[in-house]
Amino acid sequence: MADLINLTIDGVALAVPKGMLIVDAAKTIEKDIPVFCYHPKLKPVGLCRMCLVEVGTPKIDPATKQIVKDEAGATVIAWQPKLTTACTTPVSEGMSVRTQSKPVIDAREDVLEFLLTSHPLDCPVCDKGGECPLQNLTLAHGPAVSRYDYADKQHNDKHAPLGDLMFIDRERCIQCARCIRFQDDIADDHVLQFHNRGRAEEVITFSTPGFDSYFGGNTSDICPVGALTTADFRFKGRPWELKTAASVCGHCAVGCNTALNTRLNTRTGVREIKRVMPRQNEQVNEIWLCDKGRYGHHFTHAANRLTHPLIRKDGALQEATWESALQLISDKLKTVPGQKVVGVIGDRLATEDAWLFGRLMTDVIGAAPAFVSPRTASAYADVARAAGLGADADFKALGKGDVIVVVNGDVEEQAPVWFLRLRQAVVDRGAKLIVAHHRSTKMHRYAAGIARFAPGAAAQWVAGQPAELAALKDARNAVIVFGDEKLSGHNARALAQSLAHALAEAGHADKPNSGLVPLYPHGNTQGVCDAVDPSRGAMPESADVAWLAGVGDPADAPRAGFTIVSELFLTPLAAAADVVLPAAAPAEREGSYTSGDLRAQRFWPAHPAHGESRPDWWAFQEVARRMGKDWSFGGPEAIFAALAAAHPAYNGLSYAGLAAVKPQWPMVGRAEVNFGGTVYDNTAGLGARTARVPVGGAAEAPVEPTLADLTRPEPALYRAGDLIRHSAVLAGRLV
Amino acid sequence: MAKHLLLRDLDIPNIREIEVYQANDGYAAWHKAVTTMKGEDVLGIVKDAGLRGRGGAGFPAGLKWSFIPKDVFPKYVVVNGDESEPGTFKDHQLIRGNPHQVIEGTALCAFAIGSNLAYIYLRGEFSEPGKALEKALDEAYAKGMLGKNLFGTNYSLDIRVHYGAGAYICGEESALLESLEGRIGQPRLKPPFPATNGLYNKPTVINNVETLANVPLIVHNGAAWYKAMGTEKSTGVKLFSVSGHVKNPGNYELELGKFSIQDLLDMAGGSSTGRPIKAVLPAGSSSPIIPAANFGAKLDYESMGTIGSVLGSCSFIFMDDSVNMVWAARKMIRFFKHESCGKCTPCREGTNWALKLYNKMLSGEGGKADIDLIADVNKQIIGKCFCPLGEFATSSMTFTLKHFKQDYIDFVEKKMGGSPEFLAELARDAHATHGGH
Amino acid sequence: MNWKTTFRKLTRIPLGFYTVLQQTLRKPVTVQYPEQTRPMVPRFRGRHHLKRYDNGLERCIGCALCAAACPADAIYVEAGENTNDARFSPGERYSQTYEINMLRCIFCGYCEDACPTNAIVLEPIEFPTGYSREAMIYTKSMLLESPPINVPATPQVTEPGKFDRSIVPFPPIDQQA
Repeated sequence: MADLINLTIDGVALAVPKGMLIVDAAKTIEKDIPVFCYHPKLKPVGLCRMCLVEVGTPKIDPATKQIVKDEAGATVIAWQPKLTTACTTPVSEGMSVRTQSKPVIDAREDVLEFLLTSHPLDCPVCDKGGECPLQNLTLAHGPAVSRYDYADKQHNDKHAPLGDLMFIDRERCIQCARCIRFQDDIADDHVLQFHNRGRAEEVITFSTPGFDSYFGGNTSDICPVGALTTADFRFKGRPWELKTAASVCGHCAVGCNTALNTRLNTRTGVREIKRVMPRQNEQVNEIWLCDKGRYGHHFTHAANRLTHPLIRKDGALQEATWESALQLISDKLKTVPGQKVVGVIGDRLATEDAWLFGRLMTDVIGAAPAFVSPRTASAYADVARAAGLGADADFKALGKGDVIVVVNGDVEEQAPVWFLRLRQAVVDRGAKLIVAHHRSTKMHRYAAGIARFAPGAAAQWVAGQPAELAALKDARNAVIVFGDEKLSGHNARALAQSLAHALAEAGHADKPNSGLVPLYPHGNTQGVCDAVDPSRGAMPESADVAWLAGVGDPADAPRAGFTIVSELFLTPLAAAADVVLPAAAPAEREGSYTSGDLRAQRFWPAHPAHGESRPDWWAFQEVARRMGKDWSFGGPEAIFAALAAAHPAYNGLSYAGLAAVKPQWPMVGRAEVNFGGTVYDNTAGLGARTARVPVGGAAEAPVEPTLADLTRPEPALYRAGDLIRHSAVLAGRLV
Repeated sequence: MAKHLLLRDLDIPNIREIEVYQANDGYAAWHKAVTTMKGEDVLGIVKDAGLRGRGGAGFPAGLKWSFIPKDVFPKYVVVNGDESEPGTFKDHQLIRGNPHQVIEGTALCAFAIGSNLAYIYLRGEFSEPGKALEKALDEAYAKGMLGKNLFGTNYSLDIRVHYGAGAYICGEESALLESLEGRIGQPRLKPPFPATNGLYNKPTVINNVETLANVPLIVHNGAAWYKAMGTEKSTGVKLFSVSGHVKNPGNYELELGKFSIQDLLDMAGGSSTGRPIKAVLPAGSSSPIIPAANFGAKLDYESMGTIGSVLGSCSFIFMDDSVNMVWAARKMIRFFKHESCGKCTPCREGTNWALKLYNKMLSGEGGKADIDLIADVNKQIIGKCFCPLGEFATSSMTFTLKHFKQDYIDFVEKKMGGSPEFLAELARDAHATHGGH
Repeated sequence: MNWKTTFRKLTRIPLGFYTVLQQTLRKPVTVQYPEQTRPMVPRFRGRHHLKRYDNGLERCIGCALCAAACPADAIYVEAGENTNDARFSPGERYSQTYEINMLRCIFCGYCEDACPTNAIVLEPIEFPTGYSREAMIYTKSMLLESPPINVPATPQVTEPGKFDRSIVPFPPIDQQA
């Protein structure tokens, strides 16, 4: 490669790409230069002065302009008289860096002693204690004793709310501005700022309500001290007491990689989730997580979770055993013809559940139609599967010359982390953004082109071949993000088809980093639709038996003589059912999700299942066995293997493949675990991209939106659903 | 002293009025430049004249202007009238007494680099000089010296006045830009330098008020005329703000390199208390203190360097031998602690710690170990700061310890701390530093 | 199975009976506690007590460093949040749950060493005893010493700003104004 720069760090020669900072270059050879204000995801500012190193460049003879060589022929290095910040200095050819010399070591001690003069040193009660960069770096580089008078430390607010979700400890803050820079540069919610100056400088919020951002929780992760703590995790446990399970957030189509930190709760006697942390996956969520994903985990331990199967006896639901419930279901199913059975499965279930559900309906019960709820999203999933992003697609690769089109979707509300990543592609890397919507969204701020249409008329707008979409023609890559706001299933499908058509016309159909990205309502809409292959016909008015697995919307449930409901909670649908099966929450079981950009990702159990609740696939398999089918899947892995063999999109994928990891850049973990914030290391798996599967059938023409479509509420991140309403910490934000 | 070139208000009454100013060759250079010259010509004259920045660093002004890229628009001129160095009051007098010369200099600078908008950034406390400047600007607009299509050409120029909120750090050029853009006054990371990425990320020239006040004379009289004054490397005249224990404090306009510190002291009438002068701070509290033994040094950029000090902003604060250097150093550290912007660790925490140590000395609790600790804390700040302010903060400690270590030792040994005056001063300061800074 | 192994196995049976007989005739190892006690080794540190300040506030701030230091994983702490209306300890944090499994504890005293506030102290006042395994898990109420005479127990109502630091090494918090 032509643009590699050769330099030497502590005598080790290395070549790194042009423009890389010294601190990152050192990281590539596992030499950690301590930093506080620098963060690999943020622009460097160089204000903490912790990363000072000695830098030298080849000495140039002023007369000849040639590099001076000594007798041995080695280049003479002209060392700079002052120490240089490694976090702001890009590498240059022939540069030499010393990170372990006496002046450097002294400088680190000096800066740490300064930082600690104003730090309260209350590590025992600090939530960051144990995973704190200031703690770690003080142990590694700090002076053994401080000469500062402990009693003379200044006292500031210790538990000041910045907003309803975040607290700041003004004594612990070391003014590194990571939080402010995250909010300004990454989230583009300018809600934090420094106030006052000198020693009195402090971080304040100036929004109403305070810290009004969907991404505030990330500032707690990247805070190098315990200054910013979340309201959710306060005093919930020390970091070393937490056990970690890798998981995938199911709240939206992004599929953010998460780590569930669990600890025993003595009052309930069960191990429960104490916090949700992002897990690095540079192709999915980088190291970010929205506040819904971070705080929306409390449903798992809600007091009103279903713990036992329920059977309707004498008009009331009564606790029963699994055996009796399964027997009742299979007996009932045996007595009715397959066509009179209707299965509806929600899009929050795992792909494996959905695949087994689909097989149960078609192979076991026989010819029973299977639907996916919500029906709007399931109407166009096959189109999105056909025209979705290709292999190795990555929003990070989008930049100059690429076009991003957002049609009828509010990216920040529906897929917050995609908002961060698409915004960076536009603002930082120069991709062209076109937004078409009937109202204003945050994405409009960065749009080069804006189109408007009447509510519910998105498909008609695309069909009219608008001038805004002409930009697709010249694009290197084109990504079209679309939503189904105010659309019926039919119109949403028509929109997806016309967008896919527009992409194909502009020549982007087979490009790896081009395609449709739907803003699905939940984390596994794509996977469930892939696995079930939902029936596109109308929902039967009535049926003999209906099985509703994780269906949230009562409108998606047919009227039936006998209703089976698999659920976490006693929802209105469950309360009216004849048999209710308690399902295990995602955190209690294994499975996989397929995100809106067609990435299949695994999640792992974090703690035992609540009560007698069981994973849905197990219930489906048990019913099938009682109906004479010899299914004996040992677990989701075997089911996924069967799915991979049967479904072209998943061909060649395996659970082992989804769990594979490879080195990611920037390196935020490794030896110095807090380089980029609280531990983000992804050792569990990066997932794998599933393939496009062509879809047949002619494009359908959109129809006029109905009143029901137009009165549907706008998407909102904190729209109170069955799950996030259990997070008391989010109570003030639910809409 | 011959006629003043900058402090013309001392020679010509009412030169702050545009009619009087114009009657004395005012705006002649401006008219000549706009109507007959090109921007490059003006730049060339200033470069030839060897005019050096009068803000403190002494960077050649013409060279600075030549860094501005030609093909990026818009460009800006920002005039640094923050003048927040203790003991400096030269810009104050220029703006109040001779505002049109500042405006003309600003305009010539803008013309030289091809800018159509200039800002004069004034310290927030400059309400009175600010009014004079705004009045002068109104006059200049009314007389057609500023505005659209000047003198019938297609060149337009606007000059606006902006008031800071009164922060020392906003005298640093990039912090000034931040403040001008409406953000918190903290210095920016360099590179990129303001010449390419300045105000609103556009090419920007930032010059001191006094620097630009020289420009009309240079353009009017030519580079050779200007170069004849001063020394080879330090050309022209310079304003010296003299204060402290002298009989006649005030601004003195002197040719560079022709006079010594002692001459300046004599001009100011010598010691006002009758006691011998012990030392001088040549550029306010940010400069290395000069003991009386070195008063023979000539007043130019190079000579001051040879005696281990700087010419800086030329605000000479003379101190007689009644001044205790521990007290004086504490006074300066208190200033820097109060003015530290808080951006980088060594300055924010170091000045805070150093002040606490000096307070300990003054309260009488300090010991010999504290002198060493002060020296250590000082050393820990040096060379690690984000901007020059942090480094400035150390010079009061470094050089009082270097030249007047005995004062420190006496202070501890003779138990001078804890005296009623010191305790009263500490109490006053504690009361004054409300809000924690 | 050949005759040799059969023979060897048969000889084991009387051997087993002999062992039983031996144990039956042995002096029992149990003592009539609490009338009789066993002498403890002189360096026995005693069992844990959670201390209070003189003003009745608990020293324990729920930091769980004792649990981290415990080599036997015998300590379990859950922290709670102090308010001025219900203050258990100085500072923000107190131990809501504090449990020591005395069957697991090896009485090494590392918890004492780890404690930043000298809250947990091993004192040879009594030896933990109990009839069941559950009873050997000592809860906070069993470990916490009673407040000094005429001093209110926790939670206390305290004035704002007086006890807002968890760790104040010098002077001791109870001597502050």
